[in-house]
Amino acid sequence: MDLENTKAQMRKGILEYCILSVLSKNSCYASDIIKELKEAKVIVVEGTLYPLLTRQKNAGLLSYRWEESQQGPPRKYYELTTEGKEYLADLDNSWEELVESVNLIRTR
Amino acid sequence: MKITVSINLGGYSFDIDEDAYSELKRYLKNLDLHFAGEESSSEILSDIEARMAEILRTKLTGYKQVITIADVTEVISIMGNPEDISDNEGPTRKEKFSKPGAHRMYRDPDKRIIGGVCSGMGAYWDIEPWIIRVIFFALAMGGGLGILIYLILYVVLPEAKTTAQKIEMKGDPVNIHNIKDSVKKEFDTVRKNMKL
Repeated sequence: MDLENTKAQMRKGILEYCILSVLSKNSCYASDIIKELKEAKVIVVEGTLYPLLTRQKNAGLLSYRWEESQQGPPRKYYELTTEGKEYLADLDNSWEELVESVNLIRTR
Repeated sequence: MKITVSINLGGYSFDIDEDAYSELKRYLKNLDLHFAGEESSSEILSDIEARMAEILRTKLTGYKQVITIADVTEVISIMGNPEDISDNEGPTRKEKFSKPGAHRMYRDPDKRIIGGVCSGMGAYWDIEPWIIRVIFFALAMGGGLGILIYLILYVVLPEAKTTAQKIEMKGDPVNIHNIKDSVKKEFDTVRKNMKL
């Protein structure tokens, strides 16, 4: 068993959920999402975010719009679609269940 | 003294040292190969390029105007190696068989007049696009064959969207760095054969 690998697998599992949660508060562009995920220490290398964002967008959970920026080229702002919100609500439930299950086992 | 190259990364323009450019090019090409099997891989690539450009931007000041190899190494460590980024296990098939320094034909959106087919062919063979345009025009006049070929090529050839694709379109430019690399490789093979 490799501890680092196990940790990485755990993070990977919840990253998708975290991205949707960040976007549920307000629409952001990728660097805002990165900042939040880094502060929460759920992401190590930034590159991980981009394939996930594109996949979620292709699955219809996210949509994006281009917004002008004062500092450079236009930025892509992502937001949750109605489908994405439902998907997130579902994940919220299963997250609570998971936490409960783990707690139950640990404290028994 | 060092030679610098001027590049467009994610909509920003940078002056970058030649060694740093080679490293960046290698990294983007690896990423491109890594995501090759993925749906909308070019979108992922251009998002990553945009982020890298944003980070590199912060490395420049009034006194420091050129991107160095240290900046590129740092930005690569922030973004992560392809194998750390993707959740696919192991290298994809394409990665195993694709040679570095691949040379592919694309449509070139930067120099296009209609759809970028002629400019793309020009970039691929390193000839002036107008020569190809004249040939197409002549073929189009003589019975319309040129139009048909143009349409087919327009559909078949992908557009070069990312920096890595644009580099691939032109093939490896001949520069000091390439020559040094190939000389070193040659030397290593000789040394191995002689068992020194």
